Amino acid sequence: MAKTDVWQGTLALMVLKTLETMGPLHGYGIARRIEQTSGDVLSLNYGTLYPALLKLEQEGYIASEWGVSENNRKAKFYRLTRAGRKQVQKEVREWHQATAILAKFLTPGEEEP
Amino acid sequence: MRRLRALGVRLLGTCAGRDRDREIAAELESHLSLHVDDLIRSGMDPAEARRRALLDLGGLEPVKESCRDQRGLPLLESILQDTRHAARILLKTPGFTAVAVLSLALGIGANTAIFSILNSLLLKPLPVDDPNSLVVLGSAGDPQEEVTVNYHVWKSIREHRLFDKPFAWAADRVGLATNDETRFAEAIWGSGDFFEVLGVDALLGRTFTVRDDTRSGGPDGPVAVISYPFWLRRYGGTADALGRILIIERVPFTVVGVTPPHFMGVNVGTAFDVILPLETEPLLGRVPARLESPYRRWLQIMARLRPGQSPETLTAALRNAQPLIREATMPPYGRAEDRERYLRGDWAAVSAPGGVSRFRRQYGPALVTLLAVVGLVLLIACANIAMLMLARATARRYEFSLRLALGASRLRLARQVLSESLLLATAGAILGLALAHWGSRVLVQQLSTWAYAAVLDLSPDWRVLAVTVAATLATAVLFGTAAALRVARVEPIDPLKQRRGGLEPHGRVGVGASLIVVQVALSLVLLVAAGLFLRSFAALAYRDLGFDRGRVLVAIVNTQRSAVTVDGRAGLYERLREAAAGVPGVESTAISMATPVGSAGVRFTPAITILGTALPLDQEIRILTHPVSPDWFRTFGTRITAGRDFDAHDRSTGAQVAIVNEAFARRYFDAANPVGGTLVEMIGAGGRRPWEIVGVVEDAAFTSVREPVEPMIYRPFAQFADDELLGHFPTITVSVRSAQGSPARLSSALAAAITGVDTGLEVSFQTLTEQLNAFYIRERLLAMVSGFFGVFAVLLAALGLYGLLSYALTHRRAEIGLRMALGADPSAVVRMMLGRVSALAAVGIGAGLAASLWASRLVGALLYAVPARDSVTFASAAAVLAIVAIGAAWLPARRAARLDPATVLREGAG
Repeated sequence: MAKTDVWQGTLALMVLKTLETMGPLHGYGIARRIEQTSGDVLSLNYGTLYPALLKLEQEGYIASEWGVSENNRKAKFYRLTRAGRKQVQKEVREWHQATAILAKFLTPGEEEP
Repeated sequence: MRRLRALGVRLLGTCAGRDRDREIAAELESHLSLHVDDLIRSGMDPAEARRRALLDLGGLEPVKESCRDQRGLPLLESILQDTRHAARILLKTPGFTAVAVLSLALGIGANTAIFSILNSLLLKPLPVDDPNSLVVLGSAGDPQEEVTVNYHVWKSIREHRLFDKPFAWAADRVGLATNDETRFAEAIWGSGDFFEVLGVDALLGRTFTVRDDTRSGGPDGPVAVISYPFWLRRYGGTADALGRILIIERVPFTVVGVTPPHFMGVNVGTAFDVILPLETEPLLGRVPARLESPYRRWLQIMARLRPGQSPETLTAALRNAQPLIREATMPPYGRAEDRERYLRGDWAAVSAPGGVSRFRRQYGPALVTLLAVVGLVLLIACANIAMLMLARATARRYEFSLRLALGASRLRLARQVLSESLLLATAGAILGLALAHWGSRVLVQQLSTWAYAAVLDLSPDWRVLAVTVAATLATAVLFGTAAALRVARVEPIDPLKQRRGGLEPHGRVGVGASLIVVQVALSLVLLVAAGLFLRSFAALAYRDLGFDRGRVLVAIVNTQRSAVTVDGRAGLYERLREAAAGVPGVESTAISMATPVGSAGVRFTPAITILGTALPLDQEIRILTHPVSPDWFRTFGTRITAGRDFDAHDRSTGAQVAIVNEAFARRYFDAANPVGGTLVEMIGAGGRRPWEIVGVVEDAAFTSVREPVEPMIYRPFAQFADDELLGHFPTITVSVRSAQGSPARLSSALAAAITGVDTGLEVSFQTLTEQLNAFYIRERLLAMVSGFFGVFAVLLAALGLYGLLSYALTHRRAEIGLRMALGADPSAVVRMMLGRVSALAAVGIGAGLAASLWASRLVGALLYAVPARDSVTFASAAAVLAIVAIGAAWLPARRAARLDPATVLREGAG
C-alpha cells in the first residue's frame, strides 16, 4: 500500500501524543515514532515536522532543551508542558466525539425514531 | 489566547532572527546526522546515506526557509527590509531628501497647527461631565449671538424652574493686590452651583457650593477658587496655597481650592485666574455694584437638559414664560422704544457642548480659510515631490529591471517605492508635529489684544492625531503612486535595449508635465489669495482714520475710590488735565468719556433738530454725540476745517456750543458752511436747548474702523457732563499727545502725575496703536499666513520647474547635441526649451486663474475694500508666476545652449 501523507492538522496532535507516551524525544525520534505507530502506512514529510514543532513551542505546549542522544550526538529534545498535557487530553476527547458523531452518519441501517 | 502568545513569540523572533536561524540550522544538522547514523547501521554507504537523508528531509534550504517563516513574521520582516532599503536610498541623495522632508514638514505641520486651533475652538467639548447635555441661554434669531441678562432675570428664571440645573456666570477683571502693587486678575463670577452642575471637581481643596454663594460669603467667609496656572504662578504649585488670602479690590477672599489643569471656564478662548461666588460681588464696593444694577446685563446662563429633553422643547417652555419674566424685570428705561425692544427680545435654549466663545464668530471663517490655504500648500508640496520621485524612478529603471530579471515581483518593486514615500512622509510628519506645536501657540498669541489674552487648550487629542496620520498617509500615496506605477511598468529587457547616454527614444515626461501644470495652477490660487488678503489688510490698516495714531497715549482713570464726591468730579477732572499737561514730553492733553477706538460702552444720542437748513423744523434726529474737553482735536490730530475748537470760555453757564464733523455738514447742510447754524436739543417734555455750531472738523473714526464715518456732534465736556452723568460713570479718559517719539514712554510720568492729584485714582494705559491693533487681528492673521505660504509655494514651484528641466536636459543631451552638430543654432535650442516651459506655465496659469475666479467668491466676506475678483491682484499673481517660471527655466536652457556637440556624441558612442 502506498504511504499516504499525514494530514496537516493532525500532525500537531500526533506529536503531542507521541511525547505524552514516550516522554522527551528529539525531532528525528518523534518522526520515526510517528511512522512506526502508523504501522508504516503514513509517510511523514520530515520537512513539515520542524515548522510544526516551532509552532507548538510558540504556543507553549512543548518546551525544548539541547541534550545528547543515545549515540552521543547533540540533539534538541522536546517535552510536553503542563499546558500541552491538558491540550492533548482535550484534543483526544474532541476527536473521539467527532468520530462517534460521524460514525452514526456513515453506519447504514439505523432506524429513524 | 495561545495564538496571542504565539504572535508575541514570533514578534520577538523577528528581532532575534540570526540566533534563531543558527539554532534551526544546528537542529537540522543534528537531525541529518541521526538519520545518517541509522541508515549506515542498516548497511548503507555513508555518501549514499547522506544523500538519502537530505532527500527524505526535503532539501535543507527549503526546510530552513519554512522554519524561518514560522519563527518570525514574514510580512513584518519584508516591510522592515523595505524600510531599511528606502532609508539607504534616500540618504544617498541628501539634497532631494532634505527638500522633500522640509516641504512636507511645513505642509503637514501647518495643517496640523491650524486644525488643532480649529479643533480647540470649534470641535472640542468642554472638559466637564456630559458636555452634550449643556445648553446656553441664547437668542432665537441668531444661535451664535451672546445673550447676557441682568441679575433679576437670573433670579426670575430660577424661580420659574424652567431649567433643571441652571447656573449663571460672568467674566470680569478685578484688581488683585500683590505686595504693594495692584495687578489685574481675570475673574469669573459663578453662581453657587457652577461647579456642581458642570461636574468639575477640585484638583486640590474644594470648589465652592451654594452655601458659599451669599452676600457675606459662606461659613468660610468670602472664598475663591483659583485656576491651575494661577496656582503654579503665584503659589508655586504647593499645597499650602489653600487657606491663603487674596486681596481682591481691597476685600480678602480665602483660597479654598484649585481647579484641574485643563479647565478654563466655559468661555473658550479665554482663561481665568480666580472664580468667585456671584453673590459676593457687592463686597468689592464698586460703584455702582454690578450685581443688582438693573441696566447691567452681564450674566450668561447655562443649564443641563433633562434626560430625553431636547433644546427645542426647552425653548418652547422658555417662550411661554418669557413675557412674564420680561415684564417683571424691565429696567427703568426712559424711552418707550427701549422698553418695547426689551419686551420683544426672544430667548432660546441653544445646545452648547463646547461652551460659548466670541472667537468662533470672529475668527472661525478666517481659520477655515487658512486651513484651505495650508491644504493647498500641502498639495503643492506633494505635486513637487511626486515630480521629483518620478524623475528618480525613471533614472533608476536599470536597477529595477535588473531586480525584475532576478525574480522580484512587480508588486514588490512598487512596494519599495511606496515605502520610500511613506518614509519621507513620516519623517516630514514628525518634524511637522514639532513645528505645529510651536506654530499653533504663536498663531493663538496673535489673537490677543490689550483687552484680553487669547488662550486655547492646544493639547493634541485623537482628532488632531487622526488628521495628522491621515494627512501623512494621503500625501505618501499621492506622491508615491506616480513613481510606483512607473516602476511597475519597467521591462527586464530595458537595460539591454538602452545604451548609456546613447540616442534614446523620447522620454516619458507626460506625467511630469501635468504635475507642473497642477503645481503652477495651485500656486497661482495661493498667490491670489495672499494678494487679496495682503491688500485687504493694507487697506484697513492704512486707512486714514482722521487722527494721528502714533502719538497718542490714553490713560483710563477710575475714580471710584477717590475721596472726591460726585459733585467735585468736574473740578477733579480739570486738575487731572492740568497735571497731565505738566508732564514733560506732553504736547497736548484732553479729557473725554470715551476714546475713538477704546472700548467705550457709552454712546450718547440725544434728539436734536436743526435750524437753518432744508430739514423740516420739527423733525427730530438722533446724532452720535461725543463730549470732549478743549484741545481734544489737537491731541488726536484731527483737523479743524472751519470755525474754532472749544476753549475755556465754553462753560456750563455760558452759551451752549457744538462742533460738527464734515459728514454731518455734508448730510444736513449740503455745501454750506454750518458754522453759525443752530442745533436744538429736545429735553424731557417739550424743553429745548439751542446749541450754536462754532466749528467743523474732518471725519474721524469712532468705535468702528471699517465703516464710513457717521455724522457726529462734539460738545464741550464742561457743558455736557452734569453731576448726574458723572455719578453714573466713574471712569474718565485722559489722552495725551507726545511731542515726539513713542507715547508709551510717557506712561510712568503720567501715572505719577495722575496719582499725585488724588491717591485713590486707579490708572491703566493703552497707546492708540495698541487699541487699533485689536481691530485688525483677523486681517493681519490672514495676510501673515497666506503671505508666508504664498512665497513658499512660489519657491517650490520654481524648484520643481528647475528640477524637471534639468532632468529633461540630462535625458535628452544626445538629441540636443546631435541637433547642434547638424547645424542648429544654440539659441534655437534655448527657445525650444523655453517654449515648452512657457506652454506649461501658461496652461497652469490659465487653470489657476479659473480656479481662483471660482474660489474667490468664497472669501469675499473676509476682505475689506478689495473686490473678490480684484484684477490688480490676479494680474500681478499671474505675472509673478510667469516671471518665476521663465527664470527657473533659464538656467537649464542656458546649459543646454552651451553643450558641446562633440563631447556629447562621444559619450554616446560605444
